[in-house]
Amino acid sequence: MIQLFHVGKTYPPNYRALTGISFEIPAGEFVFLVGASGAGKSTLLKLLFREEEPSTGQILIAGKNVARLNRRGVARLRRTIGLVFQECKLLASLTALQNVALAAEVLGVSPRVSRIKAYQLLRDLGLRDRYDEMPLTLSAGERQRVAIARALINEPTLVLADEPTGNLDADTADEIMRLLVRVRDRGATVLIATHDSGIIERYGTRVISLQRGVLVDRVGEPLARDDSR
Amino acid sequence: MKLSLIGFVLRRVRSSLRQLLWSHLLTAGIMAMTLFVFGGFMLLETNLRKLLKSWGDQIQITAYLSNDLAAADVTGLIERVQVMPEVERVRHTGQEQAWRDFQAALGSQSGLLDGLPRAVLPASIDISLRPSHRDGPVVEQFAARLKRENGVASVEYPQEWMERLGLIVLVLEWIKWILAGVLFIATFFTVGSTIKLAILSRQDEVEIMQLIGASEELIQAPFVIEGMIQGLAGGALAIAGLGVVFGLLQAELARMGGLFAPLDELSFLNLASLGLLLGTGWLLGAVGSLVSLRRFLRTWHASSTGA
Repeated sequence: MIQLFHVGKTYPPNYRALTGISFEIPAGEFVFLVGASGAGKSTLLKLLFREEEPSTGQILIAGKNVARLNRRGVARLRRTIGLVFQECKLLASLTALQNVALAAEVLGVSPRVSRIKAYQLLRDLGLRDRYDEMPLTLSAGERQRVAIARALINEPTLVLADEPTGNLDADTADEIMRLLVRVRDRGATVLIATHDSGIIERYGTRVISLQRGVLVDRVGEPLARDDSR
Repeated sequence: MKLSLIGFVLRRVRSSLRQLLWSHLLTAGIMAMTLFVFGGFMLLETNLRKLLKSWGDQIQITAYLSNDLAAADVTGLIERVQVMPEVERVRHTGQEQAWRDFQAALGSQSGLLDGLPRAVLPASIDISLRPSHRDGPVVEQFAARLKRENGVASVEYPQEWMERLGLIVLVLEWIKWILAGVLFIATFFTVGSTIKLAILSRQDEVEIMQLIGASEELIQAPFVIEGMIQGLAGGALAIAGLGVVFGLLQAELARMGGLFAPLDELSFLNLASLGLLLGTGWLLGAVGSLVSLRRFLRTWHASSTGA
């Protein structure tokens, strides 16, 4: 599903956020991307959904080189990816239901069908009575569930989550993680960037570790050396 | 674009018009002011042209005849002139009539003519040209041809006035295009700035739309349609403003009468000019939005990718 070959990202003037990153995530896998703040987790995710372009190397998603996509191609790629962010990125002027339905409507799904699908998802995520609320009146956990519902409404094959539990208490964070596991169980590939080691221990699944922009093993030793660094 | 996406775009437009009503009104107001100035100039030009045309209609070419011309020769000359393609109307003034006309023109000072022979004033033919042949060069060519006719002693026409008339029309044309250019550039940037403010206030929406895979056309379409609506509203406001000012001006001129009597019948803009104002507003709004939006998205994309 995801293949990275010697991927690097350098910001002007000469800050190397990522260097020589290579890994592969097969379809249907549930993977944690871990590392301290500034390790390069968010940058890596942004490269995957083409918010940013790699300075070196190649990124293939479902066999397509994302760096070579034009704007239409980027839009098409993002329609196959469900994105979840720490800050949720919900539109304050829309209700929870409208926020979720929006993601389907932009693909041409009729408003009625979009709203039905959005309601079903919100109901499944425990927001049956909160669907008509504005984001500001929802709790942090509820907002994150709305964001997850929005990420899932188009039945993505890949879900990328950037610190989805960052602002949540332990119980709510656990609830969100269980939701993401259910997403994987439906067949999607899930990649979660987090620095919450507790969660990683509890879910005991594959972990990709980053330290200062390079891949490391569980004890912090680099997995691959890149001479260009 | 799918029908459901058109519906989506229209819903976004409706929602934006409600949420950012004041911002949209501000933009429409700025466009209205510019289009009002432009429309005012068109109105002025329309009425000046009308005035110039009415003056132009009064322009006549006078051919003075040789004193020794027999009556049959005069008739023959008039017949030849009448069939010339440029000629609309020919009026013959005999020596006796010329004398009486001159006397009448002198009024109380007609005594100055006492003792002068009546043959001192030549007979003449006054020629009115067809409207399509009243331009300076055409008049000049016609006058030259007339001079070559047997029995014509001299030809007079208001050459200087014709040249001035042509110059006034030329200057008007130039002012129109220069003013139009300056106004459109100024409006384009003003509209671009206000639309940029509208985009900034909806930055989150644009960002989220991009993240969920909305196509660029779908993201841009509501802004462009809003720009078109603002432009049309600006054009309509400008026309309404011009109508009010025109009505007041016409009433005031009618009240003043006398000196301003020739201006009593002012003309308002015709349908084509009204369409031009609305169309210009529509185009300015659409292009202003699109250019502003594309520039904004390009800058934003460059800053977010670190490019």
